[in-house]
Amino acid sequence: MLTLESVTKRFGGLTAVRGVSLEVRRGDLLGIIGPNGAGKTTLFNVIAGYYRPEEGRVVFEGRDVTGLPAHAISRLGLTRTFQIVKPFGNLCVADNVMIGALTRLQRVRDARVEAERVIALCGLGPHAPARARALPVGLRKRLEVARALATRPRLLLLDEVMAGLNPSELAGIIDLVRRVHAEGVTLIVIEHVMAAMMRLAQRIVMLHHGEKIAEGTPAEIAHDRRVIDAYLGDEFNLAEA
Amino acid sequence: MTRLAPDRWTAVALFAAAAATPLVTRDTFMLDSVILILLWGSLSAGWNVAGGYAGQVSLGHAAFFGIGAYAAALMSARHLNPWLGLAIGVGLSIGAGGLIGYLSNRLKGPYFALSTIAFAEVLKIVASRWRGFTAGSEGVPVPFRPGFATLGLGHVAWLYLILVLALVCYALQMYLERSRVGYQLAGVREDEDAAEALGIATRRRKVQAVVLSAALTSMGGSLWAQYVGFVDPSHVFSIDLSVRFALNSIIGGIGTALGPFLGSLLITSLETYLRATFSGIQAGFTGIYLIIYGVVLILIVRFAPEGVTGIAARWRTRRDRAHA
Amino acid sequence: MDPARRLGPAQIDVVAQLAVSTVLLGGIYALIAVGLTLIFGIMRVVNFAHGEFLMLGMYLAFFAFTLEGLDPYVVLLISIPIFYGVGWLAYVLIMRGVIHASHNVQIFTTVGLSTALQNVALVLWTGDFRVIRPWHSSVVLRVAGTAFNLSQVVAWAVAVALTIALFAFMKWTHTGRVMRATAQDRDAATLMGIDTDRVYRLTFAIGIACVGAAGVLVSPLYAVYPQAGLQFVTLAYVVVVLGGLGDMAGAMAGSLIVAAVEVAGSYVFGAAWKEVFYFLLFIGVLVFRPAGLFGQRGAETLGA
Repeated sequence: MLTLESVTKRFGGLTAVRGVSLEVRRGDLLGIIGPNGAGKTTLFNVIAGYYRPEEGRVVFEGRDVTGLPAHAISRLGLTRTFQIVKPFGNLCVADNVMIGALTRLQRVRDARVEAERVIALCGLGPHAPARARALPVGLRKRLEVARALATRPRLLLLDEVMAGLNPSELAGIIDLVRRVHAEGVTLIVIEHVMAAMMRLAQRIVMLHHGEKIAEGTPAEIAHDRRVIDAYLGDEFNLAEA
Repeated sequence: MTRLAPDRWTAVALFAAAAATPLVTRDTFMLDSVILILLWGSLSAGWNVAGGYAGQVSLGHAAFFGIGAYAAALMSARHLNPWLGLAIGVGLSIGAGGLIGYLSNRLKGPYFALSTIAFAEVLKIVASRWRGFTAGSEGVPVPFRPGFATLGLGHVAWLYLILVLALVCYALQMYLERSRVGYQLAGVREDEDAAEALGIATRRRKVQAVVLSAALTSMGGSLWAQYVGFVDPSHVFSIDLSVRFALNSIIGGIGTALGPFLGSLLITSLETYLRATFSGIQAGFTGIYLIIYGVVLILIVRFAPEGVTGIAARWRTRRDRAHA
Repeated sequence: MDPARRLGPAQIDVVAQLAVSTVLLGGIYALIAVGLTLIFGIMRVVNFAHGEFLMLGMYLAFFAFTLEGLDPYVVLLISIPIFYGVGWLAYVLIMRGVIHASHNVQIFTTVGLSTALQNVALVLWTGDFRVIRPWHSSVVLRVAGTAFNLSQVVAWAVAVALTIALFAFMKWTHTGRVMRATAQDRDAATLMGIDTDRVYRLTFAIGIACVGAAGVLVSPLYAVYPQAGLQFVTLAYVVVVLGGLGDMAGAMAGSLIVAAVEVAGSYVFGAAWKEVFYFLLFIGVLVFRPAGLFGQRGAETLGA
């Protein structure tokens, strides 16, 4: 469904992403891990059209989307969420999700129905009339996912949706991600919360200093020498996974 | 987005009252006041499309106003059809609006505002110097030629004509509140990156909003020129005008359909009242009401950023909760 | 323009005269712009009322001269503390409340202040153009074929002195460093225990003191009327944008560039078109080099 061919992104003298190649098939749930600064979000930005890579191509469903503007890529069925959530603060939750629904739907009436469906799916029902700005972080993350979901993506990029959540919120989000996946959405997930990643992902890719240094099933990754080396000195304890 | 039914009733009441005025009185002063309130409301609504709904705050809308005013005035002065002038003004303003829209994509917040100020200033200078075309800083008097085609109308006819403009502006704003375009604009206003991620062509939408805003303001300018009868560059392109358009919308309720009209009602009434009361002291009085505006603007923007409509909404919510 | 292209003595004189005018003008613009770039750089606030404080400075000098016979350069000494106080007051009463608000709120707060101040002047002192002519405004100095006005020279010298003093303050004192740190990263500054409220108060007060002093300095050179500030505000912003926001050295260099554009442009096309040049320069910089000519970070990322 999605193929990255040797994507490289430079910012002046800094190479944030170097020659990353990747393949994601329909129905996959791919995890991307790596220490801070590894280039994970930059990669998302390139895939979703916020950055244009210096080298390489992004091919989505057989179509070269490299360098297309972000909104065009979103309309093709590829939606992303933001690591630091960006709710439409002054609008209510329902309106937030509705704007997502309006990506594909032309009529406001239809969008409202779709928004209600997604809000229910994501467990945001009681909060629908609340202003997005007033929500606590756990619900904001949910809103971020709901809004992206309302665009009816075929491929969804989730950027650290689990960061900063307490254990019960975490369980809720993991469950949500599973349900979204079950609905048939292909997912690429960036995460630091290893325990969750190991449970959810079918395959994991590790980035370090902008390069892909490992790829495999969770079990393979947990025992990969290079992954362990890269994380040495970090608080993450892979043995917990 | 708060689309409260009470606001709609207020708007209906206002427009109905305006429409009924000629039936109640033929006093020129009253009619003139109503016309000005409706005209300022329309101009502010035009500003509101870009500033309120799309979040692109411009302090140079006088540029579009002036273009429209000059287009109509110059046509009339040459004994040509001012409606054609209006159309030409709209065309030119759409072009200028496109330029400003382009700038809105390159420049953020205050920088964008600054560039709009500079743009209006440049037009002011050009109009003041271009003796051969615009009669320079002396201004262009608009000859009164009776008839609808020549926009030489009596006060009652003017009132209904401007009321039509006001209704069009109001309706357009309502459309922006409940349509797909409107929702997308709200997204652009709130967070452009997020809007892009949801398939909204943010840059295009911003330009569209500014262009529409420019066209409406230009129309208002053309009609104003014909009504008032004289176009002077240091007035029609002045920053005071630009600030006034924004002021009406902010005080009334930025980003709402009723806001600009409500703000216009409040402020124009205040001005008219002060003007009538202090009619002797020329420059002295002029300053006072503007000082009030300045202070009110500071206060509103800090303590009640949603303007009078917002205050009314909050009051209603509190009252409903007390009754519940 | 003279079709004879050879650079004879007459042309050199013209160029020299233009150069001197540029430098003199540039010094004054620098004083105005430096206050603005400080406010802009440290507080991230666009002060649309900056020109009005300049105007108030001009009126202060006017009344001191007309009523008390005080020379503007004497008034300058007391104007600095006066406007420092005015700036302090303006911050505490008005700006403090909106420092963390959205851009639009800040824009309209200072626009409201600008409107209010202009019209206070209008109401109190009418819109009549006032002029003061102290003895030095009619003294002409001639050096090597160029001529300039003593008032201009003194204004320039004082402006440069103040600007350099401010620059030194920012660079070498502890307070200056604290202010620069806040400009770089407001949150980090707070975490380091810096009282950002005090920094902002200081910044605004200094910024207004600069522009008030500038107003006093230019009072012999320009007409005094309620909207006198407007002509300077546009160019001050061009300077700030050219030099990069918050960059004082950039503001000084930018002033020279803007002055050069004005002087050269006025010579070729006539003085009335100077605002057109500002606009073109302004737009040009914003579109092609939004971080200013000196590559400082900030112009595009106004939000942080």
